[in-house]
Amino acid sequence: MAQPLPRTETTPDAALIAAWQTGDEQAAAELVRRHARALARFLTGAGAPESELDDLVQETFIRAFRSVDRFRGQCQFRTWLMTIGGNVLKDFGRRMKRRAVIPLDEMVRDVTGDPHELAEASETEARLAAGLKALPRLQREVFLLRAQQGLEYQEIAAALATTPGAARVHYHHAVRRLKETVK
Amino acid sequence: MNVDAMIAAAKRLGAGPADRLDVEATARRVMERLREQPAHRLAWIHVQWVRIAAAVAIVVGGGLALHQMWPVNEASGHPAHFVADDLSDLSTDQLRDVLARFDEMVGATGPVSPEGSGDLRELDEQQLRRVLRSLEG
Repeated sequence: MAQPLPRTETTPDAALIAAWQTGDEQAAAELVRRHARALARFLTGAGAPESELDDLVQETFIRAFRSVDRFRGQCQFRTWLMTIGGNVLKDFGRRMKRRAVIPLDEMVRDVTGDPHELAEASETEARLAAGLKALPRLQREVFLLRAQQGLEYQEIAAALATTPGAARVHYHHAVRRLKETVK
Repeated sequence: MNVDAMIAAAKRLGAGPADRLDVEATARRVMERLREQPAHRLAWIHVQWVRIAAAVAIVVGGGLALHQMWPVNEASGHPAHFVADDLSDLSTDQLRDVLARFDEMVGATGPVSPEGSGDLRELDEQQLRRVLRSLEG
């Protein structure tokens, strides 16, 4: 077992990742504490039902920690995590389809139908959530990374292995379609 | 909805469920699951081997099935075929004539008549067909 890395809130993600690679579990736990809520917001925006959110967040971190050797610092760890989260959510949708429960598209959080969420979500959020579920996956993720997470196109492009120009185009397509559907 | 309102709504989207997430419990559970489940690399290699084995089984099994459905002559690549079968309509005398002509053609390399038979005239129909088959290899 590796010596635990002395941690502060300012310890960079890269140092925590390096510590995890030598077997420091506390470093991995710190990464979960740091990024779990942002990841949860992203997954919710992308259509994750709240009842499954904790499992999806866990699964995303597990996949990330197990394939962390492939993370080369091309983007922030959090951004990379969200791209993995997108794949986890897609796989979850497939599993649900196979079980013939409800397709992912219909499973997207319906804030208008849940009294608890209705109380806290504004009407605008509800309409946006409904509009997002109608977008293609790539447009939805680019929109969330840009509008919800506030990332630059350069960062989004690095995470999605595309160009900043293409990321910008996806974002603008998403905005245009959302403006049409979310009135 | 204008773009500013859309972006503001996007920033709030999922805030409630995220706030309700028990991050400490999530971190604990992630660590437990990482300890419980075998190393990813080994699992990945295992999955790849299973896929390769499945592909080999499909190719070999499919080949055997095809072979059974359409048997092929290994030398020619075509189904086995004997000229002697095409001569099934010929009488014993006619078969004897065919062999005699063949005997004349290859006379320089040796007689067609099987050892011990001496003469084609002594052979019956079955024996003549057997000789033809033996000539075809």
